[in-house]
Amino acid sequence: MALVETMTPRERVMNALAGKPVDRTPCANPTNVATVELMDLVDAPFPEACRNPELAASLAATGHTELGFDSVMPYFTIIQESSALGCEMQWEEKDNWPTVRMAKPIWKGPDDIRIPDGFLNNPDNVTITKSIEILRKQFPDVAVIGKTMGPWTLAYHVFGVENFLLMTIDDPGLTMECLHKLKEISVLFGEAQIAAGADALTFPDHATGDLVSGEYYHRFLKDIHIEMAERLQVPLILHICGKTLDRMSFIAETGMAAFHFDSKNDPQEAMDAVDGKINLVGNINNPETLYARGPEEVRAEVLRCLEAGVQMIAPECAIPLATKLENLIEIPRSVREWHEARA
Amino acid sequence: MPIHNEGLQQELGHVTEPAELARIMAMFEHGDPIMHDIAYNLIIGNHHEVDRLTKEALDNGYSANTLLDDGLISAMAIVGVKFRDNVIFVPEVLIAARAMKAGMVHVEPILSASGIEPIGTVVMGTVKGDLHDIGKNLCIMMLRGTGFKVYDLGVDTKPQAFIDAVLEHGATLVGMSALLTTTMPNMGKTVAAIEEAGLRDQVRIMVGGAPLNPEFADDMGADGYGKDAMACVDLAKKLMGADQLAVPEPIPAKK
Repeated sequence: MALVETMTPRERVMNALAGKPVDRTPCANPTNVATVELMDLVDAPFPEACRNPELAASLAATGHTELGFDSVMPYFTIIQESSALGCEMQWEEKDNWPTVRMAKPIWKGPDDIRIPDGFLNNPDNVTITKSIEILRKQFPDVAVIGKTMGPWTLAYHVFGVENFLLMTIDDPGLTMECLHKLKEISVLFGEAQIAAGADALTFPDHATGDLVSGEYYHRFLKDIHIEMAERLQVPLILHICGKTLDRMSFIAETGMAAFHFDSKNDPQEAMDAVDGKINLVGNINNPETLYARGPEEVRAEVLRCLEAGVQMIAPECAIPLATKLENLIEIPRSVREWHEARA
Repeated sequence: MPIHNEGLQQELGHVTEPAELARIMAMFEHGDPIMHDIAYNLIIGNHHEVDRLTKEALDNGYSANTLLDDGLISAMAIVGVKFRDNVIFVPEVLIAARAMKAGMVHVEPILSASGIEPIGTVVMGTVKGDLHDIGKNLCIMMLRGTGFKVYDLGVDTKPQAFIDAVLEHGATLVGMSALLTTTMPNMGKTVAAIEEAGLRDQVRIMVGGAPLNPEFADDMGADGYGKDAMACVDLAKKLMGADQLAVPEPIPAKK
């Protein structure tokens, strides 16, 4: 039986984030779904699309218009505010994401942390806020998701990953001081995106199980994330790559609307770990499935998520830029067909 | 000789696999108490103590080889097991690595001057477009500690830079790292470039990085995949046909 969709994509996403009923499971893109093919389609290549609001909006729109996702995301990377803070950047080319040169940190400790005057007016931040404004006007019925980096991720960028991780052991008090100062950047940029029209914010904070323990998440970040969920007045989607099962019970208690999880975690085990206290978004594998396999394998992973009860279906993280469109289109298609089979 | 250091004894409790425990115990059995103290302090990341004790041991006539084998490498073997088994994570490995460096500062010049042949020569870098290097750095440290000569090509390494380094240093092993899914394919491009340069038969290629797995490594044309720094060392030894070196022969106490 054909699926009758009674909600707009925006309503669908917002209801799912609020834990309310939906007409079908939404497909979202809390990180991004930009590909080289989509860049060519709308003539919005990297890195220009990361630095020009009109191009960012054009490329982000394809997530809905070409792929059929229920949301759009114009912040394709994790580096815009770090660039505005003064980090040295490698902007790369069309086929790669821009990156912060973390081997050349700009700060050493909490006393160095300063939000530059005109931070929100920095062109790399304006690219995001302005593109959200454009998308809001252009797509009133589609969920516009913004993104603001959490303090842990910002710390990697401004101090360097190795320096920061050493600091966590050498001086946990100093580490907390840094995180508390950096979180103000998260709030500032998040609020600017909310004012620009973002319905929800992705909150990447890469305390991944590939680097640190679940106990670390609890000790250094849980309370800060609780504070972020209280201060940023839209649903927050926490994003942490890698293995995170050991910290999901803590994450579930933060008050964040959703957790965007990686394919290294089994969907059913993840659902069990959060025990209904937070919505899950994910977790279609990027390098093996979306990049290297075909629609059949994508469908199998989508179905596994749906059967487990994952509330929003999405790639696990920012997708490889050479991902085939047919694999991405398969995500919403599989979701619809799964619901049709149950209608 | 029994384990002298109580902390080290407790650390050995983290090694639960019998064959692995036997292998690691064999490393400590012929060690003197000061080696056990160095090992324990390395495991807990006390670099000041490793620095002090290593100098003291050298002053007391212990050889650089003894310090490397019985004090430093043996400790890193336990660190590797704890990391693999999720007992510890990267910050704890980093402080252990820092402690290892504190010891190596004293040991390495003596070893270099002694003219001992390395197990093999490795060129290692993070692939083009990728600036992440923690995993690569840990691999390099472990490889050096195990007796490999390693040339660090840094991050954002172009295929030609790998080729140039192989030719310049006569390397027989190439190590590539990537963290981003956008840069992983550059491993395949580097393998292809090495092939095109006519060097593929002369080198073995190993790859690693958080998003990788053995299947992807195979797809890229690599000879092996290492999940972490310890696995990288095991793989390097295997590719060099030197994996039997992982189990040192019991030898009398050295001084």
